[in-house]
Amino acid sequence: MNTKPDTRPDTTRGAHLRVDCTADADGRIVFGLPATAADEAGSPRLLLRLRPKKGQPEKTVHLLELRPAHDGRLLAVLEQQPALAEGRWDVYLLAEPDAPRQRLRPGLRDLRALVDGHTRDRPSPVAVRVPYVTKDGYLAVRAWLRTEHAEVEGIDVTDRSMTVRARLHGTSLAEGAAVRLRLRGGDGTVRIVELRGESDGRAFSFVVDYAELVADGNGRDRVWDLSVRVSSGEGTPPVRIGRLLDDVADRKEVFVYPAAVVGGGAVRPYFTVDNDLSVEVK
Amino acid sequence: MKISFLLHNAYGIGGTITTTFNLAQALAERHEVEIVSVLRHREHPNFALDPRVSLQPLVDLRHEKEHPLHLRPARVFPAAEYRYRQYSELTDQRIGEFLAATDADVVIGTRPGLNVHLALQAPEHVVRVGQEHLTLDNHPPRLRTTLRRAYRRLDVLTTVTEADAAAYRRKMRLPGVRVEALPNSVPDPVLPAADGTAKIVVAAGRLVPVKRYDLLIEAFAPVAAEHPDWQLRIYGKGDEQTRLRELIQRLGLSDNALLMGAAAPMEAEWVKGSIAACTSNFEPFGMTIVEAMRCGLPVVSTDCPHGPGEIIEDGVDGRLVPVGDRDALGAALLDLVRDDERRRRMGRTAMENARRFAPAPVVEQAERLIDDARSARRTGRPLAPPEGHRIQRALVSQGFAVRDAAYAVASGALRTVRRGRR
Repeated sequence: MNTKPDTRPDTTRGAHLRVDCTADADGRIVFGLPATAADEAGSPRLLLRLRPKKGQPEKTVHLLELRPAHDGRLLAVLEQQPALAEGRWDVYLLAEPDAPRQRLRPGLRDLRALVDGHTRDRPSPVAVRVPYVTKDGYLAVRAWLRTEHAEVEGIDVTDRSMTVRARLHGTSLAEGAAVRLRLRGGDGTVRIVELRGESDGRAFSFVVDYAELVADGNGRDRVWDLSVRVSSGEGTPPVRIGRLLDDVADRKEVFVYPAAVVGGGAVRPYFTVDNDLSVEVK
Repeated sequence: MKISFLLHNAYGIGGTITTTFNLAQALAERHEVEIVSVLRHREHPNFALDPRVSLQPLVDLRHEKEHPLHLRPARVFPAAEYRYRQYSELTDQRIGEFLAATDADVVIGTRPGLNVHLALQAPEHVVRVGQEHLTLDNHPPRLRTTLRRAYRRLDVLTTVTEADAAAYRRKMRLPGVRVEALPNSVPDPVLPAADGTAKIVVAAGRLVPVKRYDLLIEAFAPVAAEHPDWQLRIYGKGDEQTRLRELIQRLGLSDNALLMGAAAPMEAEWVKGSIAACTSNFEPFGMTIVEAMRCGLPVVSTDCPHGPGEIIEDGVDGRLVPVGDRDALGAALLDLVRDDERRRRMGRTAMENARRFAPAPVVEQAERLIDDARSARRTGRPLAPPEGHRIQRALVSQGFAVRDAAYAVASGALRTVRRGRR
């Protein structure tokens, strides 16, 4: 019987470089690689690639020069402009112009400047970037780019309703503003809910009575997406309600709200994989 | 000098893994260092390992889980060890082969079962250092009985606290074995320290009952009620996750108390906070306490055995509260949340005071221990300094030995009875 270890020494360690990053409150990100990552003479660059949908070709990339810092590390700066398109951006090293690109693992992600991001009012368009670790352990940047945004600041849940506190960024409330719940994947069914706006025209709150979402009796296995219409004017595009303005790139499993049983269905607000607010009826 | 660490699984997450990596990396400045991981279940370790330290797995569970020898119970690895079920005839054999063939001058075991391997199987020329990251008082009697015999064949036994070292000296007669506390070290932080302005309380550890995160969440409720802009972030995963989530929801804390999942390394997460919390009923050392302090956070901790009280100076660089006391814990958190100046001052002091756990002083102590052990082995003189009251000590430790043996027999008999009933 062969009892010899069929494992070789773990030489794959170090095969993947680790890249540190520091995010500023204004969205600027500085990436740092060890000096040994590339030869400066090879004009190394970082490549950010917007992850295409499955089966689609890759279209959008963003290149950043890597320059040596005084401590010898190689730094690349992702400036505030241009804004990144909404989606997930994977990070690669191009050690030389013609070298194959090398995907990078995360080092230290100093995101402390993002933590209280919701306390600063954003102009339009609202651009957000959060470096995060992918499921398979690589560094990526989650980006949102929205003309306007409604940031959830708190959700209070009871056994028959929820009260949401939120704040507008890049726009403000006008006459006739209301919250809209739209049934996902259906025939365009919507429910309109009143909101209470604060005097600053930004902060607002609203109550969703769960009974309204199960009223027609076959409300099971449905998802309602929430947005706010900032005025009554025709053609005012709805502003999606979500929570984007901090350091949490994947909120779904972190901010988890209790379900209430209403009309035989379990109703629960949740954040989608894109950190938008929806209500699920199961 | 070549130093080899024998580790359960270098690919997981946990205090022993972190501290072994830290010590190995620090020793690699001057020595040839390798980590031998008995098990491997994934491609890369969770923590980046200094390229100067080599990593050698012995059994790769990704394709050896069904190896015929791995399905048979271990015979060298002691049955009373916590991880016994993860060991097998295959691990026995691989560890034995590794030790027989090693060219290391020193082998350092990192858990009781591996220390037993080391004690029984290391070649004569190898210096045997056993490390205990758990504590003697918490070992079951049957394990204590096994270790009492095996540990006599070690050169050095290190514990992580003075309290545990004292327990070994008092309750186990280990003539010629140097028993000494060697605290875990935490590398110098890379990021700027926390500045005390963030409104976040941070805790990190496996989500298991002994960590008492339920108590922490309950204690945080009055903090969130008074200061709704403050968050509690708990990093880690484990079997308690569902129960803790239910508790958070029952208390209406979904926006304030967050289960963040595992994070490695924790450094970038500590610096997002300005207070750290440790609420365990039992903490052999308290690695996360030191990590947080080195990042500039004062730590509110239960004064549980054994670590926290040897790390935190109450009221100076953190707070110590009675074990399981939710109200005291909540009050200590609230004090620091309310008082910005005190919180910042204690954070700065924490950073100063935790320097004693930097790799440099800890590695110097480890090197001194190893050097003494090597020269003792060469000259054939015992390593442990002569002790006073030797007879009395022998009698005391004999008393403990008899008691453990009796417990072990009794629990063995109980098992036999239970088996008979099935």
